[in-house]
Amino acid sequence: MHIDMNSYFASVEQQANPFLRGKPIGITGKHKEHSIIATASIEARRKGVKTAMSTYEAKRVCPSIILYPCDPKKYSYITHQFNKIFRAYADCAEQFSIDESFLEITKAATDYFGAVCLAQTIRQRIKEECGEYITCSIGIAQNKLMAKLCSEQVKPNGLTVVQPKNVLSFLDSCQLKDVCGIGHRTEERLNAIGIYTFEQLRKFPLENLTREFKSYGYWLNEASYGRDNSPVVDTIEDPKSIGHSCTLTENTEDEKEMKRCLLELSDRVAWRLRKKGFVARCVRVCIRYFDFTEFVQQRKFIEPTNNGLTLFQTAWQIGNKWRDKAKPVRLLGITASNLTKGKGYQSLFKKERKIRSLQNSLDNLQNRYGSKVWSRASLLYPPNTPSATCS
Amino acid sequence: MHEFLHDPIDVIVSFCQNRVIPKRIRWNERNYEIANVNLVHTAREGKKRILYFSVSDKTNFFKLKLDPEYLEWHLVELYSNG
Repeated sequence: MHIDMNSYFASVEQQANPFLRGKPIGITGKHKEHSIIATASIEARRKGVKTAMSTYEAKRVCPSIILYPCDPKKYSYITHQFNKIFRAYADCAEQFSIDESFLEITKAATDYFGAVCLAQTIRQRIKEECGEYITCSIGIAQNKLMAKLCSEQVKPNGLTVVQPKNVLSFLDSCQLKDVCGIGHRTEERLNAIGIYTFEQLRKFPLENLTREFKSYGYWLNEASYGRDNSPVVDTIEDPKSIGHSCTLTENTEDEKEMKRCLLELSDRVAWRLRKKGFVARCVRVCIRYFDFTEFVQQRKFIEPTNNGLTLFQTAWQIGNKWRDKAKPVRLLGITASNLTKGKGYQSLFKKERKIRSLQNSLDNLQNRYGSKVWSRASLLYPPNTPSATCS
Repeated sequence: MHEFLHDPIDVIVSFCQNRVIPKRIRWNERNYEIANVNLVHTAREGKKRILYFSVSDKTNFFKLKLDPEYLEWHLVELYSNG
């Protein structure tokens, strides 16, 4: 079973605030202007607002849209709540993203009728415990690939069941890019070799498919028959990277403003690394210009680090060296990758050991009192200085 | 009108089945009767667990913050219809 919450962030806000119900709303970054739409409500979608649209564009297509800043802690809490409900009914539940989960229900449901009953019970529990405005679409099928495809069919509040005997006819009624794992580019490449439907994909020789797509060709062939052997797993894998990005309130060429923003992001990334016990061997910086073109550059460290200042210094060095200085900057992002478990190297130098010791004390404070307990003096904004929208 | 605030407020609550239900708030020398508790969620601030109540009367949405350690209530968000 696959459960996908409908217009998730917007539904949660409409549940919390009844004056937003039935209205087109768009959930944005912390600052509403100069941001993007993270989620549009069902009413806003009907008027043409799409996820990841800029707020400027959203206002153009839907002038009556209400822009509402996101509240990540609220969404995390509700996600935790509905996953608790899922675990109460399923043999095993895998959180796929903040608003999607896979449930293994083979034993719990015994047959497809039992699965439908289970789906309705779960839906009722979500309504009672999270709120009537938080709805979900449910897909029931023999594997994860098909269950996800099913849940995408009817929105909002849908329930779609595809039994094994109907898999091929169901797939043939879908478009290639409807399947999770076939993106826009893959669809274009498939179209280029004359494949537009799943039926054509099934008939296409596997040999030619693997020649074109390498090992991904095998997966495409299996997907064309609706086959997927991946199990539902309840374990949370270690992250491959940790990053934060920040849309500035105004496009800027001011180096001071960019530095401040990047340092703040670096400290947040470093704190998450230390909290999870990781060190990073690589840092990647991303700069998005006013015209939405991007610059991405990365650098490896000789010694792995979890220090905010080291991340910042490296990111700024490569970012400032290679960026196009003629273009105002809209967004800055930093990602630490090549993560390994550890605490970083022990320095021989007294000054560095002192900084490490200070960092440990600040981490203890942050653990006890929260992330706002300390700040670098250079990050204290002077009055009337615009801050930024960070994610 | 949508505002983010951090104003200390007085709240009358009822305790029912291990739940706290805000009934009336006093803010800016005015009383507001709570008609609905729409959503309750928690969030961590360091080791502390903070409770947030999304409540509404006929014309306003209020987000209330309760610090259970000090029993302090704050009005943190206000949305007025119209």
